[in-house]
Amino acid sequence: MTGSPTKAGDAILTVDDIVVRYDTPEGPITAVDNVSFKVRPGEFLSVIGPSGCGKSTLFNVIGGLLSHHAGIVSVAGETISGPHQSIGMVFQEESTFPWRTVIDNVAFPLELVGMKRGKRAERARHFIKLVGLEGFENRYPGELSGGMRQRVSLARTLASEPKILLMDEPFAALDEQTRLLLGDKVLQIQQQLKQTTLLITHNITEAVQMSDRILVMTYRPGKTKRIVDIDLPRPRTSEIVTSDAFGHYVAQIWSDLREEASRGMKDEEAHVLHHDVPAS
Amino acid sequence: MIGAAALRRSSPGRFIAPAVGFAAIAGAFALGEVLVQIGVIDRYIVPPPSEVIASFYRIVAEERVFTRFLYTAGECLIAGVLLTLFGIAGGVLMHRFKLLQQAIETWVAALAAAPLVLMYPLFLVIFGRSMWTMVIMGFVSGLPPVILKTIEGIAATREVLINVGRSFKLSASQQFWKILFPAALPTIFVGVRLGLIFALINIVGTEFLINFGGLGHLIADLAERYDLAGTYAAICFVILVSILFFIALEKAERWLRPAD
Amino acid sequence: MAKTGRLRQTAAPRIGQVTLLRLAVILGVLAVWEFLAHSGWLYRDVVPSLLSIARALAGLLGSSEFYFNLGVTAAEIAAALAIGGLSGLVVGILLGANRFLSRAFEIYLYYLGPTPKIIFFPVLIMWFGVGPESKVALGTLSCFFPVALSVAAGMRQIDKVLIRVGASFRASALQMVLKIYLPAMRHPIINGFRLGFGFALIGALLAETKLSNKGVGFLIINAYSTFDMPRMYAMLIVLFVLAIGANALIGRLGALDRIKRL
Repeated sequence: MTGSPTKAGDAILTVDDIVVRYDTPEGPITAVDNVSFKVRPGEFLSVIGPSGCGKSTLFNVIGGLLSHHAGIVSVAGETISGPHQSIGMVFQEESTFPWRTVIDNVAFPLELVGMKRGKRAERARHFIKLVGLEGFENRYPGELSGGMRQRVSLARTLASEPKILLMDEPFAALDEQTRLLLGDKVLQIQQQLKQTTLLITHNITEAVQMSDRILVMTYRPGKTKRIVDIDLPRPRTSEIVTSDAFGHYVAQIWSDLREEASRGMKDEEAHVLHHDVPAS
Repeated sequence: MIGAAALRRSSPGRFIAPAVGFAAIAGAFALGEVLVQIGVIDRYIVPPPSEVIASFYRIVAEERVFTRFLYTAGECLIAGVLLTLFGIAGGVLMHRFKLLQQAIETWVAALAAAPLVLMYPLFLVIFGRSMWTMVIMGFVSGLPPVILKTIEGIAATREVLINVGRSFKLSASQQFWKILFPAALPTIFVGVRLGLIFALINIVGTEFLINFGGLGHLIADLAERYDLAGTYAAICFVILVSILFFIALEKAERWLRPAD
Repeated sequence: MAKTGRLRQTAAPRIGQVTLLRLAVILGVLAVWEFLAHSGWLYRDVVPSLLSIARALAGLLGSSEFYFNLGVTAAEIAAALAIGGLSGLVVGILLGANRFLSRAFEIYLYYLGPTPKIIFFPVLIMWFGVGPESKVALGTLSCFFPVALSVAAGMRQIDKVLIRVGASFRASALQMVLKIYLPAMRHPIINGFRLGFGFALIGALLAETKLSNKGVGFLIINAYSTFDMPRMYAMLIVLFVLAIGANALIGRLGALDRIKRL
């Protein structure tokens, strides 16, 4: 069940033949090997793969934080180099500014472009409400839970109104239940805003729950193994995880992934044995 | 992902940066030499670096620099041992007796902020014009950081490590010596280093003030004699001594905790 | 909390006990002092009676000469903190941000830092004269190193993800410094300044004590040379109180935000 690459000409984000190579003491390694795909406007695409498949590298390339690569990333036809205003990034780690209140965190991108204070606050409040944190505007991140902080990070990125939302395992640090519920929230927002979203994850459930299509990557060197169309009805909620079709997709993707994941494990063990150096 | 640290460790290019830094500083001195020689900088205020270097030998030979260095180093050593022992003991006591800690910890922190060196007349009278004035000066001024860092280090021991000890039914004394103290050592070392810095500043400063002792006395003497090149040379020498002292301290730290 | 081993007390000491202990310590110290003052063991007036110190203190607080010289010293310290602190901040940011610069030059700062700066005093006197300028210079030198080193280390400890957030929003270099680096480093900056303040104070006072025509150190050495010890101790008391207060104030600046560590 290979998915459709995309109808040409429709794409808002085009990733074209990206190759990323590093030099290491053990020789050059290829982290990402000729990965290409297109994302349609309003689409939710997940990139899934085992640890070491280069998906975080891909995230940094698309986001413009990594420039050592071959291949082109373009948004609506315009080639990008360096962070671009049409791409908003949400990182895996805790990334809220601990010294700013929630509202000041969310208003940060607006501050950078010189928006006036009143308009900033109004815009920030809108997005704070969108992620469901109304009432917490004047709290500090230290007073919030991990899940709430990730919502603040999300609101902050959404406040810059990017054409494409790029997320790198944003729920990795959260527990499963919080993750499912937050996934609900993100889905709801995405559907409401018709936000084009690219999600990097290692969590199959999450990917199937939220995506229109899933790109499965191989272990290093990271290539496209398969693109899967997720034909589950929209709008979706976390209840979808109980359906049969859902389980079917998960099983299918797992069988793809398992092969890659175990290759990854063997490789890391060999690396530690032979080099006395941690593999990552 | 292969760590960038592995990348850096192996390449010979890692000597480039320190070399550039050294070259830049040497270049600055060379520039200074030129500026003084051609008269842009008054040579009666700043002697040419070449002259300063030339007087190194004279200073070392005539001024018994080595003896003076031993004198100051001796004062620092004694003060250092005292402040380490009493500082750690004080910190441990204050951790053990929370009442004591709550009462005087802020006072100890306040003492660290006060310029205790100004108490030197009192110590001078009590201990006379002898090295003990300097030793006590160094000891008193270097004590607070050690106490504070000891408390901080012990208190910061991760709960899980303490629980490991409890799960092995360690006695309170074993718990302290085998878990709390080793875990606190890096922080304690930071405190000892800071304490030694304060001690050195106060010892050399007091020697400078009362015109007695080792290197601080040397600086004061040379200044009064208007021996320009000699003064600069002595300053270089004191810097060198201080650098060696703290390198030695670092080696001692590394020897005590090879895991870091 | 469950009962723990002997090393932890099961109940926090009550406020009353703490206050009592503090009072006991203060009274004990004062009692020992007064005893020494009247014992005759030490040369007269090296440890003057508390009453004479109190009288001298009263006289001091009413003396305009004292306030003038206090002002001179305070101005010296403020200038030293401004010049030395600001340059230390800039250098620290540069060293912390650029790995090459750090590996080239930071080691010199690291080993020059603990060197007592008083040794530069004769040179500074030659360059700046006997007045407050040489003391400002010494204070600046003393203050620069702890700030620069603390900031450089602080830069490297900034959570890397916060820098990536700034980059992802295309913040300019100035915006990165003002909106991310500085706030993220507020604790190392404050600690660097506290240390810098302490060193600058010691340096300036030592310099004033040795050779100057103004300032608190000058007054102190005057009192000492005329053996007016009660006055000297009175000045020390005022100076210590002010120094401790200033230090606490700088520390408070760091706690101004209600931020709990993540």
